[in-house]
Amino acid sequence: MKKKKLFAGILVFGSLWGFSECIIGSMLRDAGLPAGAIMTGVFAFSLMAISRMFYKTRGMQFGMGLVAGVLRLFNPFGGCYICSAIAIMAEGMMFEILWHKISIDFNELDTLKIKSSMGIVTSYCIYVVGYVITQILTPVFSSAGFHIENLIVFIPQILAGGLLAAVIGGIMGPTIFLLRKFDNTLVRNRLYYPATIGVSALCWLIVIANIY
Amino acid sequence: MKHMEKNKLIQIIAIIVIVIGIGSSIYVHATQIDSKHINVNGKDYSIDQLFDNSEEKTYETYSGIALDSLIVKAGVENPEKYEYTIIGADGYQKTVEWENMINGLLTKDGKSIFFDLPKAFRVKDIVEIKVD
Repeated sequence: MKKKKLFAGILVFGSLWGFSECIIGSMLRDAGLPAGAIMTGVFAFSLMAISRMFYKTRGMQFGMGLVAGVLRLFNPFGGCYICSAIAIMAEGMMFEILWHKISIDFNELDTLKIKSSMGIVTSYCIYVVGYVITQILTPVFSSAGFHIENLIVFIPQILAGGLLAAVIGGIMGPTIFLLRKFDNTLVRNRLYYPATIGVSALCWLIVIANIY
Repeated sequence: MKHMEKNKLIQIIAIIVIVIGIGSSIYVHATQIDSKHINVNGKDYSIDQLFDNSEEKTYETYSGIALDSLIVKAGVENPEKYEYTIIGADGYQKTVEWENMINGLLTKDGKSIFFDLPKAFRVKDIVEIKVD
Protein backbone atom coordinates (compact mmCIF):
# COMPACT_ATOMS: atom_id res chain seq x y z
CA MET A 1 0.00 0.00 0.00
CA LYS A 2 1.19 3.48 -0.84
CA LYS A 3 2.56 5.40 2.14
CA LYS A 4 0.36 8.37 1.32
CA LYS A 5 -2.78 6.25 1.52
CA LEU A 6 -1.65 4.78 4.81
CA PHE A 7 -0.94 8.19 6.35
CA ALA A 8 -4.36 9.40 5.25
CA GLY A 9 -5.83 6.28 6.91
CA ILE A 10 -3.92 6.91 10.15
CA LEU A 11 -5.13 10.50 10.12
CA VAL A 12 -8.80 9.72 9.52
CA PHE A 13 -9.07 6.77 11.91
CA GLY A 14 -7.02 8.56 14.58
CA SER A 15 -9.15 11.68 14.19
CA LEU A 16 -12.37 9.66 14.48
CA TRP A 17 -11.02 8.04 17.63
CA GLY A 18 -9.94 11.37 19.14
CA PHE A 19 -13.23 12.95 18.15
CA SER A 20 -15.24 10.18 19.81
CA GLU A 21 -13.10 10.45 22.98
CA CYS A 22 -13.57 14.23 23.17
CA ILE A 23 -17.25 14.44 22.26
CA ILE A 24 -18.94 11.12 23.05
CA GLY A 25 -16.61 10.37 25.98
CA SER A 26 -17.40 13.73 27.58
CA MET A 27 -21.13 13.12 27.12
CA LEU A 28 -20.90 9.69 28.74
CA ARG A 29 -18.91 11.14 31.67
CA ASP A 30 -21.47 13.90 32.14
CA ALA A 31 -24.21 11.25 32.19
CA GLY A 32 -22.33 9.43 34.98
CA LEU A 33 -21.63 6.35 32.82
CA PRO A 34 -18.35 4.36 32.88
CA ALA A 35 -16.94 6.28 29.93
CA GLY A 36 -13.45 4.74 30.00
CA ALA A 37 -14.65 1.15 29.58
CA ILE A 38 -17.32 2.06 27.02
CA MET A 39 -14.93 4.17 24.95
CA THR A 40 -12.28 1.43 24.99
CA GLY A 41 -14.66 -1.42 24.16
CA VAL A 42 -16.72 0.37 21.53
CA PHE A 43 -14.48 2.98 19.89
CA ALA A 44 -10.80 2.27 20.60
CA PHE A 45 -10.96 -1.47 19.95
CA SER A 46 -13.36 -1.21 17.00
CA LEU A 47 -11.53 1.55 15.17
CA MET A 48 -8.16 -0.17 15.61
CA ALA A 49 -9.47 -3.60 14.54
CA ILE A 50 -11.33 -2.15 11.52
CA SER A 51 -8.28 -0.17 10.40
CA ARG A 52 -6.08 -3.28 10.73
CA MET A 53 -8.63 -5.20 8.65
CA PHE A 54 -8.88 -2.53 5.92
CA TYR A 55 -5.23 -1.50 5.64
CA LYS A 56 -3.53 -4.79 6.64
CA THR A 57 -0.58 -2.87 8.06
CA ARG A 58 1.11 -3.32 11.42
CA GLY A 59 2.14 -0.16 13.28
CA MET A 60 -0.77 1.86 11.90
CA GLN A 61 -2.78 1.57 15.12
CA PHE A 62 0.00 3.09 17.20
CA GLY A 63 0.00 6.02 14.79
CA MET A 64 -3.77 6.30 15.22
CA GLY A 65 -3.28 6.40 18.99
CA LEU A 66 -0.81 9.27 18.60
CA VAL A 67 -3.23 11.25 16.39
CA ALA A 68 -6.17 10.61 18.74
CA GLY A 69 -4.05 11.44 21.80
CA VAL A 70 -2.87 14.72 20.29
CA LEU A 71 -6.46 15.67 19.41
CA ARG A 72 -7.52 14.87 22.99
CA LEU A 73 -4.57 16.83 24.39
CA PHE A 74 -5.30 19.92 22.34
CA ASN A 75 -9.03 19.95 22.98
CA PRO A 76 -8.88 23.58 24.10
CA PHE A 77 -12.20 23.77 25.92
CA GLY A 78 -12.02 20.58 27.89
CA GLY A 79 -9.42 21.54 30.46
CA CYS A 80 -6.27 19.54 31.04
CA TYR A 81 -6.61 16.11 29.48
CA ILE A 82 -3.03 14.89 29.57
CA CYS A 83 -4.19 11.76 31.43
CA SER A 84 -6.67 10.77 28.68
CA ALA A 85 -4.14 11.58 25.94
CA ILE A 86 -1.52 9.32 27.56
CA ALA A 87 -4.08 6.52 28.00
CA ILE A 88 -5.12 6.70 24.33
CA MET A 89 -1.51 6.53 23.11
CA ALA A 90 -0.83 3.59 25.45
CA GLU A 91 -3.93 1.79 24.12
CA GLY A 92 -2.59 2.09 20.58
CA MET A 93 0.75 0.69 21.67
CA MET A 94 -0.88 -2.22 23.55
CA PHE A 95 -3.05 -3.11 20.56
CA GLU A 96 0.09 -3.40 18.41
CA ILE A 97 1.70 -5.73 20.95
CA LEU A 98 -1.39 -7.97 21.24
CA TRP A 99 -2.05 -8.18 17.50
CA HIS A 100 1.59 -8.57 16.46
CA LYS A 101 1.28 -12.36 16.23
CA ILE A 102 -2.12 -12.28 14.50
CA SER A 103 -1.74 -12.83 10.75
CA ILE A 104 -2.49 -9.83 8.58
CA ASP A 105 -5.41 -11.60 6.85
CA PHE A 106 -6.84 -12.82 10.20
CA ASN A 107 -6.87 -16.48 9.09
CA GLU A 108 -6.82 -17.72 12.66
CA LEU A 109 -9.83 -15.65 13.69
CA ASP A 110 -12.26 -17.96 11.91
CA THR A 111 -14.95 -18.85 14.44
CA LEU A 112 -17.38 -16.73 16.40
CA LYS A 113 -15.83 -17.95 19.66
CA ILE A 114 -12.31 -16.93 18.66
CA LYS A 115 -13.39 -13.53 17.32
CA SER A 116 -15.23 -12.86 20.56
CA SER A 117 -12.28 -14.09 22.65
CA MET A 118 -9.90 -11.77 20.77
CA GLY A 119 -12.31 -8.89 21.42
CA ILE A 120 -12.40 -9.70 25.13
CA VAL A 121 -8.62 -10.00 25.48
CA THR A 122 -7.86 -6.91 23.41
CA SER A 123 -10.41 -4.60 25.04
CA TYR A 124 -9.50 -5.70 28.56
CA CYS A 125 -5.75 -5.43 28.06
CA ILE A 126 -5.80 -2.07 26.30
CA TYR A 127 -8.10 -0.68 29.01
CA VAL A 128 -5.91 -1.92 31.89
CA VAL A 129 -2.59 -0.96 30.29
CA GLY A 130 -3.91 2.47 29.23
CA TYR A 131 -5.16 3.12 32.77
CA VAL A 132 -1.97 1.94 34.48
CA ILE A 133 0.36 3.87 32.17
CA THR A 134 -1.60 7.10 32.59
CA GLN A 135 -1.55 6.66 36.38
CA ILE A 136 2.25 6.42 36.20
CA LEU A 137 3.01 9.08 33.60
CA THR A 138 0.49 11.79 34.54
CA PRO A 139 1.97 12.35 38.03
CA VAL A 140 5.49 12.18 36.56
CA PHE A 141 4.64 15.21 34.36
CA SER A 142 3.06 17.11 37.28
CA SER A 143 4.47 18.85 40.34
CA ALA A 144 3.02 16.22 42.70
CA GLY A 145 5.24 13.38 41.44
CA PHE A 146 4.55 9.64 41.16
CA HIS A 147 3.90 7.54 44.28
CA ILE A 148 3.78 3.82 43.52
CA GLU A 149 1.61 3.01 46.55
CA ASN A 150 -1.20 5.10 45.03
CA LEU A 151 -1.15 2.85 41.98
CA ILE A 152 -0.81 -0.45 43.85
CA VAL A 153 -3.86 0.12 46.08
CA PHE A 154 -5.97 1.00 43.05
CA ILE A 155 -4.98 -2.02 40.89
CA PRO A 156 -8.10 -4.09 41.89
CA GLN A 157 -10.37 -1.22 40.77
CA ILE A 158 -8.55 -0.97 37.44
CA LEU A 159 -8.82 -4.74 36.91
CA ALA A 160 -12.52 -4.61 37.84
CA GLY A 161 -13.19 -1.63 35.57
CA GLY A 162 -11.80 -3.57 32.61
CA LEU A 163 -14.57 -6.18 32.89
CA LEU A 164 -17.13 -3.98 31.15
CA ALA A 165 -14.62 -3.16 28.40
CA ALA A 166 -14.00 -6.92 27.98
CA VAL A 167 -17.71 -7.71 27.70
CA ILE A 168 -18.20 -4.95 25.12
CA GLY A 169 -15.12 -6.16 23.23
CA GLY A 170 -16.54 -9.70 23.24
CA ILE A 171 -19.64 -8.40 21.45
CA MET A 172 -17.80 -5.97 19.16
CA GLY A 173 -15.23 -8.58 18.01
CA PRO A 174 -17.59 -10.72 15.86
CA THR A 175 -19.56 -7.61 14.79
CA ILE A 176 -16.47 -5.87 13.40
CA PHE A 177 -15.55 -8.86 11.25
CA LEU A 178 -18.85 -8.50 9.40
CA LEU A 179 -17.22 -5.48 7.72
CA ARG A 180 -14.48 -7.61 6.14
CA LYS A 181 -16.11 -7.62 2.73
CA PHE A 182 -15.77 -3.83 2.52
CA ASP A 183 -12.02 -3.78 3.15
CA ASN A 184 -10.86 -3.06 -0.41
CA THR A 185 -13.74 -0.88 -1.54
CA LEU A 186 -12.85 1.82 0.99
CA VAL A 187 -9.14 2.14 0.25
CA ARG A 188 -9.46 1.82 -3.56
CA ASN A 189 -12.28 4.28 -3.90
CA ARG A 190 -11.47 7.33 -6.04
CA LEU A 191 -12.95 9.58 -3.36
CA TYR A 192 -10.51 8.16 -0.81
CA TYR A 193 -8.37 11.28 -0.34
CA PRO A 194 -11.17 13.87 -0.33
CA ALA A 195 -13.17 11.68 2.06
CA THR A 196 -10.34 10.93 4.51
CA ILE A 197 -9.04 14.49 4.58
CA GLY A 198 -12.55 15.94 4.79
CA VAL A 199 -13.63 13.68 7.64
CA SER A 200 -10.36 14.31 9.55
CA ALA A 201 -10.66 18.08 9.12
CA LEU A 202 -14.26 17.98 10.29
CA CYS A 203 -13.33 16.00 13.43
CA TRP A 204 -10.56 18.49 14.34
CA LEU A 205 -12.76 21.47 13.59
CA ILE A 206 -15.64 20.26 15.76
CA VAL A 207 -13.32 19.45 18.67
CA ILE A 208 -11.23 22.62 18.49
CA ALA A 209 -14.16 24.95 17.84
CA ASN A 210 -16.14 23.14 20.53
CA ILE A 211 -19.20 22.85 18.26
CA TYR A 212 -21.36 20.38 20.12
CA MET B 1 -1.50 -27.25 14.47
CA LYS B 2 0.18 -23.93 15.33
CA HIS B 3 -3.01 -22.16 14.29
CA MET B 4 -5.10 -24.35 16.66
CA GLU B 5 -2.69 -23.80 19.53
CA LYS B 6 -2.89 -20.03 19.03
CA ASN B 7 -6.71 -20.18 19.05
CA LYS B 8 -6.73 -22.26 22.21
CA LEU B 9 -4.36 -19.80 23.89
CA ILE B 10 -6.56 -16.80 22.94
CA GLN B 11 -9.62 -18.54 24.42
CA ILE B 12 -7.77 -19.45 27.63
CA ILE B 13 -6.54 -15.86 28.04
CA ALA B 14 -10.11 -14.60 27.45
CA ILE B 15 -11.39 -16.86 30.24
CA ILE B 16 -8.57 -15.74 32.57
CA VAL B 17 -9.37 -12.09 31.80
CA ILE B 18 -13.05 -12.59 32.63
CA VAL B 19 -12.20 -14.43 35.86
CA ILE B 20 -9.78 -11.65 36.91
CA GLY B 21 -12.41 -9.01 36.08
CA ILE B 22 -15.17 -10.77 38.06
CA GLY B 23 -12.84 -11.53 41.01
CA SER B 24 -11.63 -7.93 41.17
CA SER B 25 -15.20 -6.61 40.97
CA ILE B 26 -16.21 -8.78 43.94
CA TYR B 27 -13.15 -7.63 45.90
CA VAL B 28 -13.79 -3.96 45.10
CA HIS B 29 -17.45 -4.23 46.10
CA ALA B 30 -16.55 -5.96 49.38
CA THR B 31 -13.89 -3.41 50.34
CA GLN B 32 -15.77 -0.26 49.32
CA ILE B 33 -15.83 2.23 52.21
CA ASP B 34 -19.23 3.74 52.94
CA SER B 35 -18.57 6.74 55.18
CA LYS B 36 -20.32 10.04 55.69
CA HIS B 37 -17.23 11.46 57.37
CA ILE B 38 -13.86 12.62 56.16
CA ASN B 39 -10.91 11.71 58.32
CA VAL B 40 -8.39 14.56 58.31
CA ASN B 41 -5.09 13.77 60.03
CA GLY B 42 -6.74 11.19 62.29
CA LYS B 43 -9.90 13.13 63.20
CA ASP B 44 -13.37 12.54 61.70
CA TYR B 45 -15.39 15.47 60.35
CA SER B 46 -18.68 15.60 58.51
CA ILE B 47 -18.63 17.55 55.26
CA ASP B 48 -21.01 20.11 56.82
CA GLN B 49 -18.64 20.62 59.78
CA LEU B 50 -15.76 21.29 57.41
CA PHE B 51 -17.83 23.76 55.40
CA ASP B 52 -19.11 25.50 58.55
CA ASN B 53 -15.55 26.10 59.75
CA SER B 54 -14.15 27.46 56.49
CA GLU B 55 -14.93 30.14 53.99
CA GLU B 56 -16.14 28.95 50.60
CA LYS B 57 -14.05 29.82 47.54
CA THR B 58 -14.87 29.67 43.85
CA TYR B 59 -12.56 28.80 41.00
CA GLU B 60 -13.94 28.69 37.46
CA THR B 61 -17.05 26.50 37.78
CA TYR B 62 -16.00 24.89 41.06
CA SER B 63 -16.71 26.07 44.57
CA GLY B 64 -15.62 24.60 47.86
CA ILE B 65 -13.33 25.11 50.81
CA ALA B 66 -9.58 25.58 50.45
CA LEU B 67 -7.65 22.42 51.21
CA ASP B 68 -4.75 24.35 52.76
CA SER B 69 -7.02 26.11 55.25
CA LEU B 70 -8.70 22.79 56.07
CA ILE B 71 -5.31 21.32 56.97
CA VAL B 72 -4.30 24.32 59.06
CA LYS B 73 -7.65 24.21 60.90
CA ALA B 74 -7.15 20.49 61.54
CA GLY B 75 -4.12 21.50 63.62
CA VAL B 76 -1.25 20.46 61.37
CA GLU B 77 1.83 22.49 62.28
CA ASN B 78 4.45 23.35 59.67
CA PRO B 79 2.19 21.97 56.91
CA GLU B 80 4.77 22.64 54.18
CA LYS B 81 6.91 19.84 55.63
CA TYR B 82 4.38 17.10 54.87
CA GLU B 83 2.86 15.21 51.97
CA TYR B 84 -0.91 14.72 51.79
CA THR B 85 -2.59 11.55 50.58
CA ILE B 86 -6.20 12.05 49.57
CA ILE B 87 -8.17 8.81 49.62
CA GLY B 88 -11.55 8.16 47.98
CA ALA B 89 -14.27 5.68 49.01
CA ASP B 90 -13.38 3.47 46.04
CA GLY B 91 -9.72 3.26 47.12
CA TYR B 92 -8.48 5.77 44.55
CA GLN B 93 -5.79 7.88 46.18
CA LYS B 94 -3.36 10.59 45.21
CA THR B 95 -0.42 12.04 47.11
CA VAL B 96 0.26 15.74 46.71
CA GLU B 97 2.62 18.37 48.09
CA TRP B 98 1.73 21.41 50.19
CA GLU B 99 2.12 23.67 47.13
CA ASN B 100 -0.65 21.65 45.49
CA MET B 101 -2.88 21.86 48.59
CA ILE B 102 -2.61 25.67 48.36
CA ASN B 103 -4.17 25.34 44.91
CA GLY B 104 -6.79 22.82 45.97
CA LEU B 105 -10.47 22.82 46.85
CA LEU B 106 -12.75 20.36 48.57
CA THR B 107 -16.19 20.55 46.96
CA LYS B 108 -19.49 20.03 48.78
CA ASP B 109 -19.87 16.58 47.17
CA GLY B 110 -16.52 15.52 48.67
CA LYS B 111 -14.30 15.84 45.63
CA SER B 112 -10.80 17.33 45.40
CA ILE B 113 -10.02 19.86 42.67
CA PHE B 114 -6.45 21.04 42.06
CA PHE B 115 -5.92 23.97 39.74
CA ASP B 116 -2.26 23.15 39.17
CA LEU B 117 -2.66 19.41 38.60
CA PRO B 118 -4.22 17.20 35.88
CA LYS B 119 -7.70 15.72 36.25
CA ALA B 120 -6.22 12.43 37.45
CA PHE B 121 -5.73 14.17 40.81
CA ARG B 122 -9.45 14.70 41.28
CA VAL B 123 -10.43 12.21 43.98
CA LYS B 124 -14.17 11.77 44.43
CA ASP B 125 -16.04 10.78 47.61
CA ILE B 126 -13.04 11.57 49.82
CA VAL B 127 -12.99 9.54 53.05
CA GLU B 128 -9.54 10.44 54.33
CA ILE B 129 -6.78 13.03 54.03
CA LYS B 130 -3.62 11.49 55.44
CA VAL B 131 -0.73 13.69 56.55
CA ASP B 132 2.66 11.97 56.17
